[in-house]
Amino acid sequence: MLGRGGLITVLIFSLALAGCGGVASYYAKEKLERGDKTAHVLLMTPDVQLGEVTAGGLVEPNAEWTAMAKKHIVAALKEQLAKRKSRIVLYRSPKADTPKARIHNQLIKLHNAVGSSILLHKFAAPTLPTKEDKFDWTLGPQARIVGHEYGADYALFVYLHDTYTSPGRVAVMVLAAVLGALAPGGAQVGFASLVDLKTGDVLWFSRLDRASGDLRTLGAARESVKTLLQDFPL
Amino acid sequence: MRAAVRAASRRHGLSAVLVAVLLGSGACATAPGDGEASLADEGGAAPGLIAPGAGPGVALVPDLGPGQRPALATDEAGWWMVMDRAESKLRTAGNLVRDEALNRYVKGIVCRLAGPYCPDIRVYLLRVPYFNASMAPNGVMQVWTGLLLRTRNEAQLAAVLGHELGHYLRRHTLHRWRDAKSTTSALIFFQIGAALGGVPAVGQIARLIAMGSITAFSRDQERESDRMGLRLMTEIGYDPRESAKLWQNLIREDEADEDKKARFIFFSTHPAPEERSETLKRLAEVALKAGPAVETGDERFRDIVLPHRQEYLRDELRLRRFSRFEELLKMLVEDGVDTGELHFFQGELYRLRDKKADGDKEGDTDDRDKALAAYAKALGAGGAPPEIHRSLGLIHLKSGQSEKAWAAFAKYLELKPDADDIEIIKSMMQPMG
Repeated sequence: MLGRGGLITVLIFSLALAGCGGVASYYAKEKLERGDKTAHVLLMTPDVQLGEVTAGGLVEPNAEWTAMAKKHIVAALKEQLAKRKSRIVLYRSPKADTPKARIHNQLIKLHNAVGSSILLHKFAAPTLPTKEDKFDWTLGPQARIVGHEYGADYALFVYLHDTYTSPGRVAVMVLAAVLGALAPGGAQVGFASLVDLKTGDVLWFSRLDRASGDLRTLGAARESVKTLLQDFPL
Repeated sequence: MRAAVRAASRRHGLSAVLVAVLLGSGACATAPGDGEASLADEGGAAPGLIAPGAGPGVALVPDLGPGQRPALATDEAGWWMVMDRAESKLRTAGNLVRDEALNRYVKGIVCRLAGPYCPDIRVYLLRVPYFNASMAPNGVMQVWTGLLLRTRNEAQLAAVLGHELGHYLRRHTLHRWRDAKSTTSALIFFQIGAALGGVPAVGQIARLIAMGSITAFSRDQERESDRMGLRLMTEIGYDPRESAKLWQNLIREDEADEDKKARFIFFSTHPAPEERSETLKRLAEVALKAGPAVETGDERFRDIVLPHRQEYLRDELRLRRFSRFEELLKMLVEDGVDTGELHFFQGELYRLRDKKADGDKEGDTDDRDKALAAYAKALGAGGAPPEIHRSLGLIHLKSGQSEKAWAAFAKYLELKPDADDIEIIKSMMQPMG
């Protein structure tokens, strides 16, 4: 049941536990050339999930917080891109089981697979000998199909999962600290990935993981998105 | 039979149990029965199919009503959200069975069992060669093709589907989450207390007790779902005795498995299959007293499910669980339906296992001979796929009988002129240097 999404969560969490906190990114090109043109960025459905860490250390997913966070994140992303002479086009999944839906799903799944590889081999170990000094991951030119449909130049994939420490967990963390042990609390983890819809190349990939942040309020969500996009190449 | 939940719990302890039990959506159809249970435990047949009431040791939460969705601010909504996301992936899964007739058939049985809840349940048939089905809290039901291979008629299939519906109606995921949450919270405070008191070993014992408690909770839910499944199937006229028969067949297959590892009962999320089968048998007798419910739906099952059996047998063969597969095929042959294809797969099993005869055992023969005998039976009975001739050719080739092999290959190509392995077969028909 864990599947791809689960793998990504595990990867990001294991990175967080490894102690490499904050934000880090890789890019194919530091700055993308586009003259005076406004770039159209297709925002794929953001993968957002919020929950609470229980006293016993389990995570209770929260649908209400998640729904709020989704709105905040989309709003914050729009603001961030507007500042960069770019405009967000919202992705809407086609009707299920249509040929169009199947093509789109293949691209999304492919990005999931490539994104997992980037997370594993660029942000964690083992690094791949052929990828050590470069960042040349691609989804292939088929990505063009989706670009044409939406009239978009780029696609942006965003994943943000956030957990908050329950009062019971705070007590456990304090008591564990007294014993010299570490009981992890809430954490904010995520990534953003920018794909060129003409070539399918992953142009930029940023990963966030830290023990702070709050996606439940617009102000704090703005800060998270700003941090995640801090060296966005547009 | 080899539930992911159970395997995981053995290997990784508490955290894996929780991930599997909580995220893994529910409960597999793999194993319950309850010594003290009776159908009457569910109370009278209330209009909503099930009388209100809680599972063993569960805080009272009313059953789900038809069309009911949890309020957004609840823990239940959180799990529905998680499963809604999982469902969107399921919809595009590569191994989703898209055959319309088969989907309509299984969904139809679910609907008759579920009554007013029918629109709330989405059935996903997945091509996975293990016996399992699962139920997520949001109404997503997964049924694996390895299950369709092992249920022998519609009544047996209905028994499993009814069991899964029981998980949904009784909101088992929610109960299990709340139980796990309070148990793990109590545990951690106890462990800290024990450590502060200078006796950390006590904390470890408490951990084991907590793990046992969580898995026992899950077993009780399985028992409850078993009773529910039996009751739902009986209400719409299926023979309740088929439920116990299904379990007996699964036990038989399990016992035949030479690689079987000892089961670790303590961590098991399901009660022992023997216990389950016995209880179901007794409950069936009780149910039968209420009125004759004798439908098994053999014909419909044969018409709609059995045409796919060859694909499922092929998947099963690929697992190379030979001793288990041997027993399964034996049981299916006993049923006597389309035995030609079954004997073909017996032949395939022996051909691939290719075990030499055990000199100490009387009457034991080489697998190669067993395979040839099975193929002969298959050809006699009819209904084996053209590949039977390719298989015969391969065996003859191994035994150095080139003439016979070529004749068999020629027959294969004659029956399947568009075979995608035509070139390699032709190359094998060239005389060796």
